[in-house]
Amino acid sequence: MIYADIALNSVVVAIIFDLYLLRSQMMTRMIFWKTYLLILPFQLLTNWWLTSNKIVMYSEGEIIGTRVAGAPLEDLLFGFSMILLTLSLWEFFAKRFTRDKVAK
Amino acid sequence: MAQFHYLMVLAFIGSCAVFVNLGFKLRIRSKLKLFLMTDAVILLIYLAWDFWAVTKGSWYFDREQTVGLYLFARLPIEEVLFFIVVPLMVVLTYLALIKLSRASSKSENSNDLR
Repeated sequence: MIYADIALNSVVVAIIFDLYLLRSQMMTRMIFWKTYLLILPFQLLTNWWLTSNKIVMYSEGEIIGTRVAGAPLEDLLFGFSMILLTLSLWEFFAKRFTRDKVAK
Repeated sequence: MAQFHYLMVLAFIGSCAVFVNLGFKLRIRSKLKLFLMTDAVILLIYLAWDFWAVTKGSWYFDREQTVGLYLFARLPIEEVLFFIVVPLMVVLTYLALIKLSRASSKSENSNDLR
């Protein structure tokens, strides 16, 4: 499995966790998509910094080759899965470990 | 200065986090436990992926542009910090938007925004 496969799988896994395992169902909430859209430009900025300076480099055979803001397209999939999983876990733990719902 | 290139972007995200936390009065320190639980899972999953990918050679880092501390002799310490600072910023952005949407909608029927 190359980076492209795993990045795509990570999105599928994050969605399954969010909808069926953690059941936070962040994907069904407008606030999740607003958060994602706000973070996206900052991800692109970070990606651009890391790749244009060649701080992080990718092996050619591991990516499909399409680049966004200097970084492989796959990075957007990785970013999405991490943002979704982070917020889904946050809500999951908030529901169980916060009495006064301050985390909401 | 080159060895701080990766660290610089993390410092930028980190200062955004401090700014948002203070600016929106989110009091993230009172939810530290919650964040640590969340981030522990994220660190476990994404560092394992990172370690595997670096071992395989999917991606690699410029040793001149990282400070030179490594986790398991392979992952620059910046990668570990990345998976702490970025999830923190994600949570803070989320909390700030919730606060904003609550402040803007005076009516209590705004459950769909949560």
